[in-house]
Amino acid sequence: MADQVKYPGRLITVDGSRGKDTAAAADAIVERMRGSGVECAISRWDASGLFGELAATARGDRNISMRTLALVYASDLAFRLRWEIRPVLEAGGVVVAAPYIETPIAFGAGCGLSEEWTRQLLRFAPPADVRGRADERKLDRPWKRRTDRGFPEYCAMMLDASAPRTLSKRARHEMMRMLDQARGRKIFTLSDKGVDAIAKAITDNRPGALRRSASRPRNARK
Amino acid sequence: MPRPSNARKLRKLIAEREKSRGLLIAFEGPDGSGKTTQHKLLKRWLESQDHEVVSTRWASSALVKPMLKVRKKIRTLSVEEYSLLHAVDFRHRIETSILPALWSGKTVLADRYLFTALARDAARGLDLDWLLHAYSPLLWPDLVIYFSMTPEDSRRRIASARAPRFYEAGQDVTGIDDPLASYSRFIDRVVTEYDNLSVVFQFVTVDAGEAVYRQHTRVRELVEKAEKRPWMTFSEEAVQEWLIKSNTPDA
Repeated sequence: MADQVKYPGRLITVDGSRGKDTAAAADAIVERMRGSGVECAISRWDASGLFGELAATARGDRNISMRTLALVYASDLAFRLRWEIRPVLEAGGVVVAAPYIETPIAFGAGCGLSEEWTRQLLRFAPPADVRGRADERKLDRPWKRRTDRGFPEYCAMMLDASAPRTLSKRARHEMMRMLDQARGRKIFTLSDKGVDAIAKAITDNRPGALRRSASRPRNARK
Repeated sequence: MPRPSNARKLRKLIAEREKSRGLLIAFEGPDGSGKTTQHKLLKRWLESQDHEVVSTRWASSALVKPMLKVRKKIRTLSVEEYSLLHAVDFRHRIETSILPALWSGKTVLADRYLFTALARDAARGLDLDWLLHAYSPLLWPDLVIYFSMTPEDSRRRIASARAPRFYEAGQDVTGIDDPLASYSRFIDRVVTEYDNLSVVFQFVTVDAGEAVYRQHTRVRELVEKAEKRPWMTFSEEAVQEWLIKSNTPDA
């Protein structure tokens, strides 16, 4: 079940405790990579549309548990892997997945789900080549309770309907604590410096074929 | 997870509820084995005995059914997505209809339960260990009635009624265009998985080839003799999690 395939491409993952910052960090990486001549795809949360449909269906009754939402996340991730991530990796390209597996693991843990359960559930996802963490830029403000911002905000909104409002606050703290844990891998903090470091990590290791020539190739006429 | 003092309180609460809680009975078996017929007959009989009965069917939660239906129709689900969406549906039904009904003393009849997912998804090539993990924490049924039949009989019964649907026929994994030919191959694997599960999880087997009335008589006997599988031993985590989430007044 675990994805042990060694893909020719590179997978960069971005996780964070706030959807908007995660998306912004992913955009910054893609921009920087493109600037250095590397074409880069991006895979975002809810590409399958499941969360959007769920919010529409559950408008009146939000009797949904964190475990159910984690399963929906897993299904959405399976969709993203099939259509957005694996095809790029198989073709030898670079793809940024934002968020990836650490976000639901950390948020789930903040809501009482065992870390091991979520990690095992998502074990079909291939490991990241480079891991990045998007720190929150506005720590003093609460999350915006919206269904289109990101997974943590979405869950906070859905869960707060049936649980005490303190849940999202507690989950946020727990989430930040967990996202700080490196688990034996280097994690890049996605400040400007971090984005440069990720771009360098990828461009230094990637196969030569990945580099898109900035100028016209010499043999173009042939 | 609950704090230790809360956990103690919850354990006590669950143990106290054991006596008055309802019975969970699961009907399992291949397509065309007569589960739904027997489920209806048993429901009517239990109601005539003044039992309060709640029925739950596979892939029927109001939340997930529309999402599943549209994706099945356009045939876009991968094996993992198919399995995970059914797990979402199952978890949501456990939390919103099955556990509340059992807690209030009603009998729950499940037309297909967890084992349907295990048999079908394992037949699709997924790892049984991962499947059990995705469905955990498990709420074990008190009685699993398995309507046993051969793959040939299942195929014959299905063929006489209708063409099997795309995922029912396993066309997503067999790659065979003809639904019935695909079903023949797929149901072989499903029945093998069911047979393995019936041994591991101690299903009570009913011969689906027998006359409907004889099967019903046997089902009645089984239900009358059924004993509860103690929640504290088999399903403590699932019940505790539901109690915490639902803020049940007693908890």
